[in-house]
Amino acid sequence: MAYIEFQKVKKEYQMGEVTIKALDNTSFEIEKGELVVIVGPSGAGKTTCLNILGGMDSVTSGKVFVDGKEVSKLKNKELIKYRREDIGFVFQFYNLVQNLTAIENVELASQICKDSLNPETMMKKVGLKDRMKNFPSQLSGGEQQRVAIARAIAKNPKLLLCDEPTGALDYKTGKQILKLLQETCRKENMTVIIITHNTAIAPMADKVIHFKNGKAQEITINEHPISIDEIEW
Amino acid sequence: MKKALLKDSLKEIRNTYKRFISILLMAFLGVGFFAGIRATAPDMVDTIDKYFDEKNVYDIKLLSTLGLTKEDITALKQIDGIEEVYGEYSEDILLNFEEEELVTKVLSLDEVNQVSLVEGRMPQNSKECLVEKSFCTQTGKTLGDTLTIEETQNSMIKEKEVTIVGTMNSPLYTSRERDTSKLGSGRVSYNIYLPKESFDSDVYTEIYLTLEKAKEYQTDSAEYKEVVEQVKEKLEGLKEERQEARYQEIKTEAEEELNKVKTELEEEKQKAQKEIQEKENEITQGEKSLQKAQNTLNTNQKQAKEQFTLAQTQIQEAKNEIQSQEKDLPNLENKAQQEITKLNQQKQELQSKNTLLNQNIKSIEAKCEEIKKALQNTTLTVEQKVALETQKTQLEGTLLTLQQQGNEIVSGITTIENAILKIQTELQTGKETIEQAKKQVQSQEQEFQKTKQTTNSQLQKAQEQINRSKSQLEEGKTALASAKKEYEEQMEQAEKEIKEAEEEIQKIEKPTWYILDRNANTGYNSFIQDTQSVENLGKVFPIVFFVIATLISLTSMTRMVEEQRVQIGTMKALGYNKVQIAGKYLLYASLACIIGGSIGMLVGFILLPKIIWMMYSMMYVMPDISIHFNWHYAMLGLGLASICIIGATLYTALSALNQTPSELMRPKAPKPGKRVLLEKIPFIWKHLSFTRKVTVRNIFRYKKRFLMTIIGIAGCTALILAGFGIKDAISAILPNQYEKVYQYQMQISLKSDITNTELENLITTLQEKQGIKKVVQTQMTSGTLMNQNKEEDVQIIIPQEENLQEVIHLADSKTKETVNLQDNKIAITEKVAELLNVQKGDTIILKDADEKQHEVQISDVVENYIYHYVYMPKELYEALYEPYSTNVLLVEHTLNNTQAEDAFAKELLEKEEVSAISLNSSIQNMMNDMMSSLNYVVIVLIVSAGLLAFVVLYNLSNVNISERIRELATIKVLGFYDKEVYQYITRETVILTAIGIVLGLIGGYFLNYFIMGTCEINVLRFSRQIRPLSYLYAVMITIIFTTIVNIVTYFSLKKIDMIESLKSIE
Repeated sequence: MAYIEFQKVKKEYQMGEVTIKALDNTSFEIEKGELVVIVGPSGAGKTTCLNILGGMDSVTSGKVFVDGKEVSKLKNKELIKYRREDIGFVFQFYNLVQNLTAIENVELASQICKDSLNPETMMKKVGLKDRMKNFPSQLSGGEQQRVAIARAIAKNPKLLLCDEPTGALDYKTGKQILKLLQETCRKENMTVIIITHNTAIAPMADKVIHFKNGKAQEITINEHPISIDEIEW
Repeated sequence: MKKALLKDSLKEIRNTYKRFISILLMAFLGVGFFAGIRATAPDMVDTIDKYFDEKNVYDIKLLSTLGLTKEDITALKQIDGIEEVYGEYSEDILLNFEEEELVTKVLSLDEVNQVSLVEGRMPQNSKECLVEKSFCTQTGKTLGDTLTIEETQNSMIKEKEVTIVGTMNSPLYTSRERDTSKLGSGRVSYNIYLPKESFDSDVYTEIYLTLEKAKEYQTDSAEYKEVVEQVKEKLEGLKEERQEARYQEIKTEAEEELNKVKTELEEEKQKAQKEIQEKENEITQGEKSLQKAQNTLNTNQKQAKEQFTLAQTQIQEAKNEIQSQEKDLPNLENKAQQEITKLNQQKQELQSKNTLLNQNIKSIEAKCEEIKKALQNTTLTVEQKVALETQKTQLEGTLLTLQQQGNEIVSGITTIENAILKIQTELQTGKETIEQAKKQVQSQEQEFQKTKQTTNSQLQKAQEQINRSKSQLEEGKTALASAKKEYEEQMEQAEKEIKEAEEEIQKIEKPTWYILDRNANTGYNSFIQDTQSVENLGKVFPIVFFVIATLISLTSMTRMVEEQRVQIGTMKALGYNKVQIAGKYLLYASLACIIGGSIGMLVGFILLPKIIWMMYSMMYVMPDISIHFNWHYAMLGLGLASICIIGATLYTALSALNQTPSELMRPKAPKPGKRVLLEKIPFIWKHLSFTRKVTVRNIFRYKKRFLMTIIGIAGCTALILAGFGIKDAISAILPNQYEKVYQYQMQISLKSDITNTELENLITTLQEKQGIKKVVQTQMTSGTLMNQNKEEDVQIIIPQEENLQEVIHLADSKTKETVNLQDNKIAITEKVAELLNVQKGDTIILKDADEKQHEVQISDVVENYIYHYVYMPKELYEALYEPYSTNVLLVEHTLNNTQAEDAFAKELLEKEEVSAISLNSSIQNMMNDMMSSLNYVVIVLIVSAGLLAFVVLYNLSNVNISERIRELATIKVLGFYDKEVYQYITRETVILTAIGIVLGLIGGYFLNYFIMGTCEINVLRFSRQIRPLSYLYAVMITIIFTTIVNIVTYFSLKKIDMIESLKSIE
């Protein structure tokens, strides 16, 4: 069994009288330590897929396994525990707590996990050693996203989920962030899943999953993923 | 407004209905509370006004210490502005029932102060009465039963038995309180109404006036007061004159009466004296005639004696003569015997002659016979015969001669015999004469003796008669003497009485007229005071609501505007002007405000007066409250709410609109985090756990919310605390006054004519009675304390000795230390000191009932809770005003049950010297009942405070969540358990609540102080102290409300969709 398995997952939203199929019999597998990029147009089901993986949403049918655990079967409290211990999440808009300093934002995550990593080390890793005591409002977007990544990694999660992490960033900063993620994946051997509509960055991934109409239509495996530095778009 | 904009606005409302409702609710609460409470007082006044107008209740009431007359009525009718004058009667009587004796006030039914019939019908004749419903309940009497009115002296009530035909409520007695009485327990228990014709008196007890135009104005309004005041002034003018007139009338009446009595007395005196004189004369006359009788008797006796002697002498003489005659008698007899003897010899000669003769006769007669026989013989020749015949004729001739001779002898004998007989007879006669004389003398003597005896006995009798008369006379004399004495005593008594009566007349005081308005009616007055309290409350409470409503709208609308920055920016960019854009928010707020406010108004106008009325209806018997839609307060309330809510909205909308579209379209930089002051104190900061640090920082991050929560919670706590505080304050009055200040339990009012001996006896009796601890003599009198511009009525208490502290605890109002009365200074009570703004050491003018004014120095301001008192040393009182005289005894006793106390009171009341008794326990009980309705005030306050707290907290919590929804979603994604998320957010609420509660307690203390100040009745001192338990209640109730809101928050937190966190910032 692969590290992560999506087995014929179906997700339907009931919007009044209309049933919207967000995921339609989607199946894919991800191995541990892989850097996966999920691409696809808006409304293809990428985010739903991520939400389910992140334990934030339930499936209508089908099964989801993460490290042998059937996530799709977990109850609310177990789901929270799953999120707490196994998942790191990077948001498009960073979602830092404005009232906490950079390091405190990291602490916010680390203090709820059993084997969390040292927040300061994390800050150093993301290259913000000097900005630790700054509030989010005092940081640039890229810096904020780094803090968000540090926060996600500090939990020492099994899975790092990133939802359009560069969506709100300029090209250069976006690249830096993607680089950070790539490095994290390689160095920490962390499974990283990045959602993006920017197909250009696909070459950096070990595996690229193309979503369309709620289905993982195409899964390509890059035998030789290239460094983000070499990718231009 | 463009159609699209309008649509958008309305859709906005649907989408954010929670926010809309919370603003609406604030408007509802604010306007409802404001308008409702504000309208209650006018509604209440209006209710009593209508009630009084309907029942034609008096505007001015006149009382006089000596009653009022028809002349008074006539005089009153002359005065301008008086619509009608009614003379009425009232009298307190005792009605006896099996178990109790009820003091009942009997009033006359009339067109003025009409009663409202509850059951039955109105009386149709003088023998029918109306009673109070509760009277029936207590006594078990029902309609148709009769009541027996005991006959008493000077009673005006004609009827002795009256039938209950109905029950009623009287507009004069709207409160539960009844008048005081000189009978029984000193307070009237029930009122009874009888038709006017059931009374028989020339003097009215009271006169009621209704005034022209008074009904047009609302009672207690300035116009009404003006109307009453004008007439009152005129009455003041009339007062003196009528008082004097009545005084003269009474005096004249009394004097006439006295004169009549005097004249009668004089007449009687004269009559008595005349009688005595007559009696005396009679006695003298009697004595005289008795003397005369005695004299006569004496003369008679003397005469009788003389006559007796004379008679005796005569008798003796007669006796002597008889005796001498008797002595002569034998001589005479002898002489007579000789004579007789001589005569008898002659007789015997004669008789012998006669015998011889007779023998011749017989021999002749025999020869005659023989011739006769020979003649008869036929054989005889004629010669013979002639011979014979011649013989015979011869013989016969001889015979005849013989016979003649015989006759002569016989006659001689007879003559002798006669002579003898004559002598004998003579002798006999002589003897008989003597005998007769003897007999005569004897009989004379007997007769004399008899006469003597008779005379003597007659004299004796006369003497006895005289003696008897004498003793009778003597008796008469004694009787007269005692009668005289009695008469003199009576006269003395009568004169004394007259003198007393004269003194009494001298003592007749000039009557005093009391010109009273409706405020003198306890029910009316306390009702009006209550409406004022409600009005004062209406001034305070809505402020809290309006402040909070403003803050709530401010936060909500700010949030709304901020949420829609981009939209605003877009609109601006599209070219809509400020007004159009702001219009949406204004419409939103206005709709919330107007809808909420209008509902609030309606509910408030109906509900609050009703609730408050419900509270008061326990204390008053009145028709149901008339509820009005009070446009004034409706508009004022809505206006205020609009200013608060729409103003806040406008402020936020405009501050957003002042930014450029580009600024607006960019997501608003989230509020930067800031280090708080606490972080600079590492000692504390380091010891806080991470989540606590977050909480601390969050609290200070959202200052507006911080403020709002605290104000909301503090307001809630303060309101609750104030509610309990009011209850505490008012319920503490009684124990404070009757247990802390008054150490005595009984107040005995004495009759004014009590003498010192009677007083001493009474006190001794009291002191000897078991269970009586102390008896303190005081004089109580009314007076007025004045400063330059204000005056207050007070009761002056003057202790006879320096032992007042034994029964009234005089303690400094501030330090609570016991103080003593100081020479030449007075102590006054706290409230009046406050009202007149004087302090210890100041001087103040004290006016007594006779209007004598003196400046006195205040030695102390003492603790007191009910009414105003001035405590004054006897010496000072006597020096400034009048001589001291005890009229009230204050009694401290240890009778611990009411039955014993009642029995004792009853026993005392039977004493002549006692005029009334008031028991602190019964006053306390009565007032306690009234105050129990205060619980409703507390409930109203708690409910509104709770509503307020709920709305505030719920709204804040909603704003908080929506404002921080991203943050919350994020931490949820980070894997915070529900509980942790809940704590993350409610820890702030808890801390803010705690701060709010603390501030609320402080605020509540002041709010309470303020309410107490505004609501305080003139004669009452509310305790500003709030019981510790009340603080606890306030805290607990606030915590309960907060908890409820927190529970709601918990569920709305649980509902937060994490996917929100992924969405872009709008």
